[in-house]
Amino acid sequence: MPFAESLWGNLVQDLPLLVPVLFLWIVGTLMLWPLGSWLLKSMPKRQWSGITFVVLLVTLVLVFRTPAGQGFSGMFQVDGLTTGFQILAIVAAAITVILSQPQLNALKEQSVEYYALILFSTSGMMLLVGATDLVSLYMALELMALCIYILVGYLREQDRGIEAGIKYFLLGAFSSGLLVYGMSLIFAAAGGKTTNLAALNQALALAPRNAELMIFTGVILVLAGFGFKVAAVPFHMWSPDVYDGAPTPITAFLSTAPKAAALGAFVRLFGTAFNGVHGDWAAPLSFMAAASMILGNIAALRQQSMKRLLAYSSIAHVGYMLLAVLSHDAQAGAQAIWLYMLTYLLMQGGVFAVIIYLQGKGEGERIEDFRGLSKRRPMLAFAMLVFMLSLGGIPPMLGFFAKFYLFKLAIEQGFVTLTVLAFLTSAISAYYYLNVVATMYFKEAPEGEAQPMGSGLSIVVFATCLLVLVGTCLGPWLMDWTARIVLV
Amino acid sequence: MEQLEQLFSTVLTRHVFLIFGVLSVIGAGAMIFSRNAVHSVIGFLLAMLSIAGAYLCLRAEFLAMAQILVYAGGIVVLFLFVVMLVEMTKYKERKIFQTQTPVALVVVLISAVTFLGVFLKTIFGKSAEVALTLNPELTGDGLNAATHNVQAVSRGLFADYLLPFEILSVILLVALVGAVVLAKSERG
Repeated sequence: MPFAESLWGNLVQDLPLLVPVLFLWIVGTLMLWPLGSWLLKSMPKRQWSGITFVVLLVTLVLVFRTPAGQGFSGMFQVDGLTTGFQILAIVAAAITVILSQPQLNALKEQSVEYYALILFSTSGMMLLVGATDLVSLYMALELMALCIYILVGYLREQDRGIEAGIKYFLLGAFSSGLLVYGMSLIFAAAGGKTTNLAALNQALALAPRNAELMIFTGVILVLAGFGFKVAAVPFHMWSPDVYDGAPTPITAFLSTAPKAAALGAFVRLFGTAFNGVHGDWAAPLSFMAAASMILGNIAALRQQSMKRLLAYSSIAHVGYMLLAVLSHDAQAGAQAIWLYMLTYLLMQGGVFAVIIYLQGKGEGERIEDFRGLSKRRPMLAFAMLVFMLSLGGIPPMLGFFAKFYLFKLAIEQGFVTLTVLAFLTSAISAYYYLNVVATMYFKEAPEGEAQPMGSGLSIVVFATCLLVLVGTCLGPWLMDWTARIVLV
Repeated sequence: MEQLEQLFSTVLTRHVFLIFGVLSVIGAGAMIFSRNAVHSVIGFLLAMLSIAGAYLCLRAEFLAMAQILVYAGGIVVLFLFVVMLVEMTKYKERKIFQTQTPVALVVVLISAVTFLGVFLKTIFGKSAEVALTLNPELTGDGLNAATHNVQAVSRGLFADYLLPFEILSVILLVALVGAVVLAKSERG
């Protein structure tokens, strides 16, 4: 059986690329069944977040040890982009897991499945950023998204939670439909021979002239599908409601990990397969970026709820990052997005930890609830100040360097108008971020005494704040350092 | 006899394929538009059977059989069970999803015209010097080595598309877990 032998040989050769993902799959399955039922008897349920955290740390180590290479008939590739964005997904998942513990305890909703779903979703992201074939890319995207649909609707006793879950599921399924239809059109237009990204780029270059319109339609549909996934205007309508209704740790997860993974795949897909048809998607993508920056920032000005504010500001941040996707140079684009996403997920993690602390005290998540925080908990208010300044991209904070790197790339690539727009809207964003700071420092505190913060939350706030501050000091070197990490 | 076979494989197959395609669209339409849930299921059955027929025309016999077994056999029966067990009559008169019908119609019309335009341009476009092939012909190592239909499917699944196939298995696991998580009455 020479065929079976070659199959086995290929498998043995390719499996090392997938070790971190396989590890997550195995642990996730064990958690759901044998290990889970065995451990459940011997320990309280809230330990699950600790176990999941350790699992994610081990996965991180495994990611660093994974050799570069390509395998599975050109379906999956480990390179700098893969490793870089896999790290982002894992870090975001780890932050989410720590944040989940106090929140789920307070709601009495701890369950093994919750943490297993986070692990499976992370594995989907890790596959997504390394996918070099339309088929594996789509499957990985679905794995990632399906877990998140469930997690968003996890609090099914609350109407808001159910609404968020159903809304996200329906729109997500719809956008997947658009994505697959676009892929099928491109597949047909490229001669129906290959779904491999690199081969597709060559095939599209050789496509007959009458296929041009079909390629254009396909590319636009794929763009719309990805637009839904990263919540870029005009495909952002789901985002505020879903952010609002999902459990807060999942909101933190949603605003960082899937966005990082989807943007990584976005850069790879459009930088590799659709590189030759850059003219087809440059204008629509520029529109999406500009609209996201403008609408996200202006809509955020009017928000009273902190989660909705972060939802709209997240749309704006995606708008900035789309500038890097536009770049003709996929590698530089990936590096800029990576640095931006890294700083963004640190800041988001910290902000959500503070929100969860306030929620735990029964204060809800309105901006009003932050008033007088500087008197009640000065350290927390200071951390929040750091996050807000950094999110606003105010120099010399870490967020500024990430933005600077991104905008520099955009100007080098000749997108001057868009960059000017990004600067202006970024100035608008400073208003609502500073508004939160002003609420914390200059408004009278409500009655009530300061409560101690849970250890997990303090660790997240402390660690992210420290990293942001260290990053701030190392800003200029950070950019050189990134350039060496994410090599496509 | 050979001539007849040739005729069957070229002209006739294409027409039968088109007929099956139209039938599947009719079935899908009947599924969406019928008020009665059982009629919906029958429409779905028609759509699935016609797709199986279309697979036959494309010489994918195994896929056609699988389609009939899984969809026409399994899923339709499952649907009928659900329809039987759930009392659908009380949802009959409520117009929950019909507030946006005019907008939806406009959007559907616009997109239908757009896609029609795209396909017409692609097939009969002025600059069609080289005819666009719409016959997918995948070239993987495993598929090339296959000698017949079932072998091609198995080699596609286990050699060329091994990774997506395995991801799919995890997706199914997640879907199961998700159904349990969302339906469980209490988390103790």
